[in-house]
Amino acid sequence: MPGVTIKGLTKRYGDVAAVEGLDLQVKPGELVSLLGPSGCGKTTTLRLVAGFLKPEAGEIWVGDRCLSSPITVVPPERRRMAMIFQSYALWPHMTVAGNIAYGLRFKKELSKADREKRVKEILRIVQLELSESRYPGELSGGQQQRVAVARALVVEPEILLLDEPLSNLDANLREEMRFEIRRLHEAFGITTLYVTHDQAEAMVISDRIAVLRGGRAVQMGTAEDLFQRPRSRFVAEFIGKTNLVDGIATEPGVVTRGGVRLRVASADLTVGAPVALSIRPHMIELVADHQIGTVSARGDNLLRGTVQRASYLGDAVDCQIQVEGSDVILRVVAPPGLRFRQGETVSLAVAPSACIPLVESAV
Amino acid sequence: MADRLQVFPSRLEGMDRSAPVWVMAALALALLILLPLGWLAYVSVSSEGSLTLAHYRKVFMDPRLQKALWNTVILAFWVGLASLAIGVPMAWLSARTNLPGKRLIRGLMMASFVTPPFLGAFAWVMLAGPNAGFLNKLYRNLTGAEEPLVNIFSMSGLIFVVAIYTFPYVFIMIANTLDLIASDLEEAASILGAGRLQVALTITIPMVAPAILSGFILAVLQALALFGSPAILALPAGFHTITTQIWALFHYPPKTEMAAAFSIPLLLATALLLLLQKKLLGRRGYASVGGKGGQRREIPLGFWRYPALLGCLAVMACSIFLPYGILAKAALSRAWAQPMTWENFTLANFWFTFFEYSSTRLAIVNTLELGIMTACVGAGLVALLAYITNRKIIPGHQILGFLALAPVVIPGVVLAVGLFIAYTRPPLLLYGTLGILFVAYLTKEMPVGYSQSDATFRGIHPELEEAGRILGAGRLRVLREITAPLALSGIIATWCFIFIGVIRELSASIILFTPNTKVMSVVIFDLKEEGQFGAIAVLGLFMLAVTFAIVVLMQSLLGRDFLGAKE
Repeated sequence: MPGVTIKGLTKRYGDVAAVEGLDLQVKPGELVSLLGPSGCGKTTTLRLVAGFLKPEAGEIWVGDRCLSSPITVVPPERRRMAMIFQSYALWPHMTVAGNIAYGLRFKKELSKADREKRVKEILRIVQLELSESRYPGELSGGQQQRVAVARALVVEPEILLLDEPLSNLDANLREEMRFEIRRLHEAFGITTLYVTHDQAEAMVISDRIAVLRGGRAVQMGTAEDLFQRPRSRFVAEFIGKTNLVDGIATEPGVVTRGGVRLRVASADLTVGAPVALSIRPHMIELVADHQIGTVSARGDNLLRGTVQRASYLGDAVDCQIQVEGSDVILRVVAPPGLRFRQGETVSLAVAPSACIPLVESAV
Repeated sequence: MADRLQVFPSRLEGMDRSAPVWVMAALALALLILLPLGWLAYVSVSSEGSLTLAHYRKVFMDPRLQKALWNTVILAFWVGLASLAIGVPMAWLSARTNLPGKRLIRGLMMASFVTPPFLGAFAWVMLAGPNAGFLNKLYRNLTGAEEPLVNIFSMSGLIFVVAIYTFPYVFIMIANTLDLIASDLEEAASILGAGRLQVALTITIPMVAPAILSGFILAVLQALALFGSPAILALPAGFHTITTQIWALFHYPPKTEMAAAFSIPLLLATALLLLLQKKLLGRRGYASVGGKGGQRREIPLGFWRYPALLGCLAVMACSIFLPYGILAKAALSRAWAQPMTWENFTLANFWFTFFEYSSTRLAIVNTLELGIMTACVGAGLVALLAYITNRKIIPGHQILGFLALAPVVIPGVVLAVGLFIAYTRPPLLLYGTLGILFVAYLTKEMPVGYSQSDATFRGIHPELEEAGRILGAGRLRVLREITAPLALSGIIATWCFIFIGVIRELSASIILFTPNTKVMSVVIFDLKEEGQFGAIAVLGLFMLAVTFAIVVLMQSLLGRDFLGAKE
């Protein structure tokens, strides 16, 4: 089971670089998501890996085979990969079984009986035994999706590529299929590249996530890494909701903006340098006056502010609070039991460990 | 090492393999379009090796040619207006109201669309000729009058006959546009307080206005390029249009340079009009906005339901019932102008047409041969072109697409003049063979075929092919096993389109034929000179029968209405 190594990959359309100097490594058996907004180059990257596109610079290696470089591109059919497309790309003129068996035609080492056995087996795994002889047009969206999955898995590819495979499903089915794909990945253990623009999907499915922006990978890590330790504004805002506070490191472990002084857990701050903090809305606690003592004893930052807006969402109250003595407005997700009036003054507690300084504060 | 061997062939796949295809396709298009048009332009400005504008001066100074030019303008303008007058209300009725028998109307519209206009013109000679015309005789019998009711051999007669076969273009354009405008756009205006008339005036009509204008242009273009109807109706009335004049310039001794000089303005006019129409439609983006999902409510006609249907049927009577009826009568009677009695009944016309008259048999064989050849080669070529342009396989693919659509601006007569000049000299001496007709038909049918093929390939998602590639199939194998089966019905439909276009072609054939290379339309034209109306009717009905058989085949293949309208 080989992994995938991408080095300095660049693809241009005219003057516009869709992918620019992308470096990425996928370990054997790992599922890595390429996550980013539209136009970040994630689909282009996937199509470069598939061999549908030729790079202007850089290389794509699978194991010890160099599959793509500006000089040579191994055609898709010789890459021992499989791909699940956004449109599913099921052939309407072939039955479900015909679609699934197609890739096996090119596996000369398999006997006819072996092929039939494999098709039966995969149909069972994706629970489509009864639809074997139906045509794709006669299936529901979810079933079509499963046929696409089966068609890709049955050939036992070295690398599996998925291009936003869930984007055409309705919300409920989409959530269900996330777990399904993760389950299949754990069962088959195929090295997988998964393209999506949905951060929740990426977090559920992936071993690691590469966040792409402007054709480059801006940060790569596990879902937890990205959420807890974003390196840039872009990642902090793209993965989950957050408050960004621009300030200056006034002394070791302290960031100040106007009248707001926040202690941060991280030690490596250059005193005098500007720094941006990311504070997740649910990490900010609204405290009653009698609790203030306890909270300060814990070493939390204590702030006071005015409620500008509070929306009851059922499982939480989403509020926006203007912090006293500064222009900072924080978004806070509070438990639903608390009720506020607009204009009410409240106290906020933020643990130093919840104030994450961004390493690349500028981007 | 093994990997290097795998990599190597892929380098050949890139440019090298597609280069010959590119060169061949480009060459084919050049031979079909650039060569004839180039010669046409050259001959129009050259005199014994030196450049001159003398031919143009002659053309524009000659009062007869001026008259022909003017007649064409009148004809085209009035046909455009008349087509709007008939096409727009019928389109609105069939797209928006609870008119009964809509399917029937659409079916008849399709029939009128595929009826060769020159056949309609013949039928109308029998219906409304001043002396023996059926309607005029009926009128005289009923009223005892001496004078005929109508004389089809006149400018107004010509306009009428051309219009009843041209208005379907307007109908299709408007009906399809109305289909795209969801009722909620109109309802949004109603809820804001606009009355029914105000809604029509401020919402519906402005939205279809570009389609109406471009339908007008389309009708004008048809009338400009038409040869058959003017030749049948205008010549006996003693006047020419541009197309008949160009044809007349080819009579012995052929004045090729004059014909060429006369062709260029017509070519420019059609090109300009089409450009204008494209501009209009290009800006029309808003007419299709929010189209597909929207509901359409039918507007109740109330009392006017049946009168409206009657009006529609009256129009269809002019373009279908009466002409087809008189053709059938002529085919089955000894003397077409006499009442249909047992004594007058005969099948001899069929016998004569198919077995005795030598040039009909040859013409039928030629026509079918050319139809099949052009359709096969044409469908193959446009499929290749459409595939290349859709998948952007080679650089410069846009040019191929443009060239394939370009002949749409070339009127048949003009194309024929160009081909005549280009292929009566070495290296390609095609004149006098079926080859030159083949080239003419291929060029003429290219735009229709290409649009059809383009739609076919646009409907096949590239991911369907990529899915095959990534699972291990090579490019050719994917073409064979995935693309071809999916495109097949579309390609056969393209074949049908081209075939129908070829068997009814007259305006280019009339200039390019020689005694051995006559086709059905030309023979029909010849038979008129001999007064063989029975044989004309038989041949005409045969042509219609073949056409309708093909249309039915095509509709079942496409699974939709021939006119592109949703059911």
